[in-house]
Amino acid sequence: MLKLIDIEKKYKIGPTEVEVLRGVNLEVSQGELLSIMGQSGCGKSTLMNIIGLLDKPSSGSYFIEEKAVSYNNDDALSAIRNRRIGFVFQQYHLLPRLTAMDNVGIPLVYRGLGEDERRTLCMEFLKKVDMHERAHHKPGELSGGQQQRVAIARALVGKPAIILADEPTGALDRRVGLEIMNLFKKLNEEAGITVVIITHDPNIAKQCGRFVVMMDGVIVDG
Amino acid sequence: MIVKTNIKEAADSLYSSKQRTLLALVGIVIGIGSVIAMVSIGRIVEEEAIGQFKNMGIDILTIRKDSAMGNEAGSRAGLQSPAVAIQLKDVLEMPAYCPGIGSVAPFVTQGGEMYYAGRKLEGDSLLGVTQSFWDMNKLTAKEGRLLSDLDEYSQFCVIGSSVYQKMMKAGGRHVIGEKLRIGDGIFTVVGALKEVPPRGMRQFEANDSVYSHITTALRIGSSAEISTITARVNPDVPHNAAQNQIREYFAKRTKTKNVKVTSPEEMIAQMEKQMQLFTLLLGAIGSISLIVGGVGVMNVMLVSVSERRKEIGIRRALGASRGDIKGQFLIESVILSLIGGALGILLGVGVSFIISFLAGWHFSMSYMAIILGVGVSSGVGIFFGLYPAIQASKLDPIVALRSE
Repeated sequence: MLKLIDIEKKYKIGPTEVEVLRGVNLEVSQGELLSIMGQSGCGKSTLMNIIGLLDKPSSGSYFIEEKAVSYNNDDALSAIRNRRIGFVFQQYHLLPRLTAMDNVGIPLVYRGLGEDERRTLCMEFLKKVDMHERAHHKPGELSGGQQQRVAIARALVGKPAIILADEPTGALDRRVGLEIMNLFKKLNEEAGITVVIITHDPNIAKQCGRFVVMMDGVIVDG
Repeated sequence: MIVKTNIKEAADSLYSSKQRTLLALVGIVIGIGSVIAMVSIGRIVEEEAIGQFKNMGIDILTIRKDSAMGNEAGSRAGLQSPAVAIQLKDVLEMPAYCPGIGSVAPFVTQGGEMYYAGRKLEGDSLLGVTQSFWDMNKLTAKEGRLLSDLDEYSQFCVIGSSVYQKMMKAGGRHVIGEKLRIGDGIFTVVGALKEVPPRGMRQFEANDSVYSHITTALRIGSSAEISTITARVNPDVPHNAAQNQIREYFAKRTKTKNVKVTSPEEMIAQMEKQMQLFTLLLGAIGSISLIVGGVGVMNVMLVSVSERRKEIGIRRALGASRGDIKGQFLIESVILSLIGGALGILLGVGVSFIISFLAGWHFSMSYMAIILGVGVSSGVGIFFGLYPAIQASKLDPIVALRSE
């Protein structure tokens, strides 16, 4: 499903060049629940940005569903993010002005779907994360765990090829974090959704079907 | 669909930052309002002036001594001899030699201080007129009688409405039969005129004048000469034919030789040109305030963009293209400007209504002003919203996501 070959990423900070990723090779198959674990500063966030098409590598190739990603066309990258990738962030990143329903509907807006169609789909996915009763609440009226559920529904609503979750339980306490992890597992097992979780927590990593460890810009244990 | 959602979200976003939105609106409302007010007042004044002119009659030619040309023989010799003044006798004989002319009304303007009951009347002037003058200039008596050609060399006068008011203020109970001192002469008031709208097409201030017979006025002032003649063209006579007859008459039969004859068409055209310039000038003043309003919109949009960097990052991550982000902010600034434009139209029309009410003009609302208001405000929204919108669309999604 995803294939990264020799991905390198260098930043120039003043006169010195910092190499954040030094040749990452990774393959993610359909229906997998994979976690990428590593200490902070190991480059896992950069890797996640590259997988999520928010950043481009300095060198190497990246294939999504057998197609090589071209970084020349920003609109095409936006379209892939919109249709093939679902993001879940540590800080949920819901828009505070919008209701849970409207937050879930954002990816569909950029597909040009009408309001009625959006509402039906949003309700369907809010039900999947057990948040349909709070569809008209704003994020400020929801707990952290509830907000993360809404964010997961938003990642799922566009039926993407893959869910990318960056420390999805990082801002939640243990019990709620476990619930969220169980939700991911359930979605993966029952619906066959491909999930990649980035975490620094070995307990989270162990719950996933496969986990790789990143250290100093490379994957050391795959 | 995106546009529809964007409009809804833009309205939400503007509503959620009410204070900022209101402040930006003030600028744009005043800007659009002043453009609308300026333009519509310009139009009202134009219509008013042309209306008055048409009311005066569109068959009246204005004749003046052409002082620029001077005596033809003199200028050929290189000497600028002053043009000879128009003689009253020549004027009165005009209809006999110009078959296209029905009646003529010359007049003389005379300075000189005026006193009533020992008090000076400020700002008034003496006008020497003939019997035909009243009809030609649509002036009628409110009290007493008008001067006729039987009043030649008499010391009788007729007063305009504001002179009447000044005399009343100075303690007069009635004006007919009262004495006015003008220069060295004592005049008896025999009539008072009805008030007419000021600054019309007349070549004098009708309300601020005291009228005597032209023969009296020419006699008391040594430097007095006929300044303007108005002549009524007979029905069915083309104006340019009448103009030619008058020019020919003065060239062949009088010592004045050169006169300038202006037709009503020329005057209307001239006036319309002046009014257009006036309207343009007012519009330009309005445009400056509009630019100030537009800069306000830009400022608010820039603040909005920097406050919503995170939102931009989230939207980009969820699949919004640069164009989507640009569109979202552009729609927001256009909506802001259109709301301002709508309020500005109300303000502008209101202000021009009040001004035309106070000035006694006939108020008319021009649809041009509304089209102009809507067009200009959406133009301002796009023009001043484009830069912030482009800034927003250029944000790096990763940086935007990280910002608080």
